[in-house]
Amino acid sequence: MILEALIAVAFVSALVVLLAPNEWAGKLAFALSLIPFAGSLYLWSAFDGSGNALTGGDIAFRTQVEWLEVGGRSVSWFVGLDGISLPLVVLTTFLVPLAIVSAWTPIDSRQSQFYGLMLFMQANLLGVFTALDFFLWFIFWEAVLVPMYFLIGIWGGPRRKYAAIKFFVYTNAASLLMFIGFMSLVFALGDSVSSFALPEITQAIAAGDLSAWFGIAPERMALLAFLAMFLGFAVKVPIVPVHTWLPDAHVEAPTPVSVLLAGVLLKMGTYALLRFNFTMLPNQASALAIPIAAIAVISVIYGAMLALAQKDLKRIVAYSSVSSMGYVILGLVVFTEYGVGGATFQMVAHGLISGLMFMAVGVVYNATHTRMVGDMAGMADRMPITVGILVAGAFGYMGLPLMAGFAGEFFIFVGSLSAPALPYAPVFTALAMFGIVIVAGYLLSAMQSTLFGPFHLETDYEVGPAPFHDVAPLAVLLVAIIVLGVAPDIFFEMIRDAAVPVVEGVTLDG
Amino acid sequence: MTAVAASIPPSWYLLLAATVFCIGLLGVLTRRSALYFLMSVELMMNAANINFVAFALYYGDLTGQVFALFVIALAAAEVAIGIGIILVLYRNFGVTDVTVPTEMRW
Amino acid sequence: MIDVFSYVPAIVLLPFFSFLVALGAGKYLPKGGAFGGIAATAGSFLLSLWVLATVAGGQAANRTIYTWASAGGIGPTDVELTFGILVDPLSALMLVIVTLVALLVHVFSLGYMNDEGETGLPRYYAGLGLFTASMLGFVVADNLLMAFMFFELVGLCSYLLIGFHFREPGPPSAAKKAFLVTRFGDYFFLIGVVAVLATFGTAQFAGPESFPALAEAGEVAWTPGGLAVDTWFTIVGLLVLGGVVGKSAQFPLHTWLPDAMEGPTPVSALIHAATMVAAGVYLVARMYGFYALSPTALAVIAFIGGFTALFAATMGVVKDELKQVLAYSTISQYGYMMLALGAGGYVAAVFHLTTHAFFKALLFLGAGSVIIAMHHNEDMWDMGGLKSKLPVTYYTFLAGSLALAGIFPFAGFWSKDEILYEALVHAPGEPLLFGGYLMGLLAVPVTAFYTFRMVFLTFHGEPRSATARDPEPVRWNVKGPLTVLGSLAVVTGVINMVPVQKVLGIEGIDVLHRWLDNEWGGIEGLSSHHYADLGPYSSEYLVGGEVGTVLVGAAVSLGLALAGLGLAWRLYGVPSPTEHTAKLGGIKDVLYNNYYLDELQVWLAYRTEDVAGVANVFDQGIIDGVVNGVSSVSLFGGNRIRRLQSGVVSQYTALLTLGLVALVLVLGVTGGWFL
Repeated sequence: MILEALIAVAFVSALVVLLAPNEWAGKLAFALSLIPFAGSLYLWSAFDGSGNALTGGDIAFRTQVEWLEVGGRSVSWFVGLDGISLPLVVLTTFLVPLAIVSAWTPIDSRQSQFYGLMLFMQANLLGVFTALDFFLWFIFWEAVLVPMYFLIGIWGGPRRKYAAIKFFVYTNAASLLMFIGFMSLVFALGDSVSSFALPEITQAIAAGDLSAWFGIAPERMALLAFLAMFLGFAVKVPIVPVHTWLPDAHVEAPTPVSVLLAGVLLKMGTYALLRFNFTMLPNQASALAIPIAAIAVISVIYGAMLALAQKDLKRIVAYSSVSSMGYVILGLVVFTEYGVGGATFQMVAHGLISGLMFMAVGVVYNATHTRMVGDMAGMADRMPITVGILVAGAFGYMGLPLMAGFAGEFFIFVGSLSAPALPYAPVFTALAMFGIVIVAGYLLSAMQSTLFGPFHLETDYEVGPAPFHDVAPLAVLLVAIIVLGVAPDIFFEMIRDAAVPVVEGVTLDG
Repeated sequence: MTAVAASIPPSWYLLLAATVFCIGLLGVLTRRSALYFLMSVELMMNAANINFVAFALYYGDLTGQVFALFVIALAAAEVAIGIGIILVLYRNFGVTDVTVPTEMRW
Repeated sequence: MIDVFSYVPAIVLLPFFSFLVALGAGKYLPKGGAFGGIAATAGSFLLSLWVLATVAGGQAANRTIYTWASAGGIGPTDVELTFGILVDPLSALMLVIVTLVALLVHVFSLGYMNDEGETGLPRYYAGLGLFTASMLGFVVADNLLMAFMFFELVGLCSYLLIGFHFREPGPPSAAKKAFLVTRFGDYFFLIGVVAVLATFGTAQFAGPESFPALAEAGEVAWTPGGLAVDTWFTIVGLLVLGGVVGKSAQFPLHTWLPDAMEGPTPVSALIHAATMVAAGVYLVARMYGFYALSPTALAVIAFIGGFTALFAATMGVVKDELKQVLAYSTISQYGYMMLALGAGGYVAAVFHLTTHAFFKALLFLGAGSVIIAMHHNEDMWDMGGLKSKLPVTYYTFLAGSLALAGIFPFAGFWSKDEILYEALVHAPGEPLLFGGYLMGLLAVPVTAFYTFRMVFLTFHGEPRSATARDPEPVRWNVKGPLTVLGSLAVVTGVINMVPVQKVLGIEGIDVLHRWLDNEWGGIEGLSSHHYADLGPYSSEYLVGGEVGTVLVGAAVSLGLALAGLGLAWRLYGVPSPTEHTAKLGGIKDVLYNNYYLDELQVWLAYRTEDVAGVANVFDQGIIDGVVNGVSSVSLFGGNRIRRLQSGVVSQYTALLTLGLVALVLVLGVTGGWFL
């Protein structure tokens, strides 16, 4: 029942904050968001699952209650955690309070609505990462878009409407494609499944229960479903070439929303890819290994090159997110323990690091009211602590060892170089690794021109250090990144446990 | 009487129904007055009624006739509503010409 | 019995704590946290001495301390990624060198930074502490992954310290360049680390299950695409070498190092003598058992080394700034070490690493002392005649210069001579190695020339500026470290008197040889003899057998060095020296502009940015254009189609009728539904 309580608390807090007066909505939202965080820490300490939830492992905190029946298949309230979803739940509940604190300075109108929507989004995000029934999962999945749309559309920058609509329509259209793909899979399973429970469906597919549907042979059906779902999730991740909504959304979104967008929302895409495409249809994934790996490598290099060309700090970080997500795709497609485990770890690591970067850029923006590289210089002179943490975060992004990003990337590289499931794996890996050079190039260049050198900023006010409540979340995130980098095993062990069945799901010829 | 009616082949009934229907359709397409509209629609419905009754006779099944009765009742109700709409139309626009009020467009 | 090796992590952690203390509380502490750093490095130094003594007592350690992560790889067993310590004669020696230089640099910083009223001292001492800690972690690393991690942290610290004066435009740029160029090398190193893990399932340096041992036995879990094992080893070796070339500033990734002179001078001393630049060479020495298996990799190392030695030396000839000359000498000297490693002279390389650490730290600190005296003017043409004003600095600097130039009997002579000797006796039949040797030999007179050009311009002749006539005096905290290092630069040669042993037949004075050969104990498989057995080289003596070759080699290199020194004396050892480089004509410009390599790299960076710009246009125009195009087409189409909704009921009826007719026609023609 603890998971239900967690989600319910988030929903109720959203409602309470929505009704609270604007003056203290932020503080109230922060206090209330600590409850799910405490809950997730309890979940972590009491976690007793093993294996992968979808392939028949022990699901921790499992609840399965019949809800209704659709087309002869039952829909149930089915939630639970395994080693892949728990880190993401912890990540979500950890980032939301920090994002809320980072909103105290920049959000100065309609606060109660803002924080209410943030908490509403959190509740749905928790639902996405815990639901194990397709219908339930899909409701949460779609419901995440609604608060995001308003958060960008109301509190965003000058082009907020464009960005919000682009985000909503793009990802929603992709969801439709994914829905069709999944449903055709369910229909092809016919009577061999009696519910929309993901474990049942996964195991039925693994048992070879797919049959011809609408005159399409099962193998072909599975391939088409794989492609539809891959494309659907690819938009969310996002992968090149369906990534263009991301920079617009990030640039227009206010800082705390960017934090959650990069930190958690993008992970929904990779999480769903892992759950649906790579766990349910491993052989299709493996058959398409070369094109998928090629897309991953292109995402890494192309995203990094785009970041190199940007002048807006937020766009730089946004494009580098595209680049980082490419590593995750590469890790998934190689089907090794280090690869899949590293990809999952990288989701968490990137969630923290990109969250830190967006937050730090936001704190600088609070002081400068510009994010353009050419407009400011020598910020280190005026806000030393913020800049110090920003530099540390940037090095984390570059994959500095003993920070979380290095662990994730290194696991992926170790898993992918010699991966038997991916032909030409060494070539793909070596190409993808070149991303670590480009990322250093653009982050160092951007830092050099904005943070260092003689101070320059045209303002009619004095620029000083950021207030404590702006800097504190940055410091907390930095500590978390370093802890995770020094001791990745606090998550990696359970992730690995849940990743092994995924790896074993793929059949390799020869 | 029934024998006479039954001795006529169904195609004649269908032809008659089609003719009446087309007259009604032509009325709807060409006339501008709402009242002519109403009358033309009446014709088209009656064309359908002819078909119902004819097939009921042909198959010796009463269902068609029952349906025809329903259609007649429906037509009466429709006329009542239709005339009400026309009254409102006239009150608002001062005409019964259906091409004048084009408020409900894009 | 106390287990000293359980204190080895403390050697690393002490400077790390000084980093934390300086960072967190530095501004509340006297001297900006300097004493914490001094205490920490002193503690590390004492512990290192203790470790050295213990290793001399026949003990060694190869322990895994902490498992970072573990998961299945290729093969039946899990690939474990671990942290551990490897203490053997090599790392124990290196620990002492690093901690000693770091300690002296900390003390010197009191004079260079605190006394000069620099701001941001806590940040400075925090950086020094982290730098030292990272390097020490690298030195004791027991596997390649851990080495890589600390290698990268060393890079981070160099970035932080080179860019210390971040309010000026130059240092941040230099810091960026240092990190980026070394990162480019580290890219290959990272592939190498991953390749080692994939190939062997382990990255341990020592022990029967280590990757050099597995490579020697030919036990591999994986090679890419069925590549022959030997070829693959060569490729992996060269990949790792990428990181070495970057950090040890070898051609063509040396360009960051002269720019790195933007950092405070004590930091330069630390970077060049004992930490970052030394890390590359140390890494090759650390995994020499692996390199020894690949003749191609060794030949490449030797050639790169020899080439860099000569190449950098020629650029040092024309520089005007004191630290620039030293920067190019560093590149050149590390080239010698690489030449030694490539030539199979493992001991010679470590020997030169040791002596160079002392005399280069000495020269940089001496330069720092001069810079204090000159009020931070580094141009040698504004100096002159400082000899009488700064006697301690002068004599120690002279000792360092004699060592650098390779003049008998200073430390540098012994180590450089041994390198050239090793290269010479192994060169026959190895064209790359022989080329490396020739270039190394040619670099000897050039080195002596630029070294003494620097000495004469700085200390001799008439003062050429007002500051040079009345320099600022320096205090004990500058003179102390100089004296210690000056003595070491004179005497360090005695640890390895191989030529003397060979010529005079006195046994037992080749201490370093026996030390690295595990004569006092060490770890199986990590001895110089083992490496020699693995390596591809056999010795051939030119004239008069071994003794004759030793004598001829030493005589030639000493003669060349003296010739260079003499030329410098002729040209610059006069009361009012003038610039003679103009005689070089166009070559001078080429040399002065570093063979235009910086321009090339900048050009490459700009071209990359151009490509990025094109990518951006493509992304915004084509890819996002398609997305926006879809929405525009939808909006436009919707705008047109909605005009069907005219509001005229008759038109709707007509459409309905037409639709019905069309449907009837289609059904009539096709005779049924489509499906």
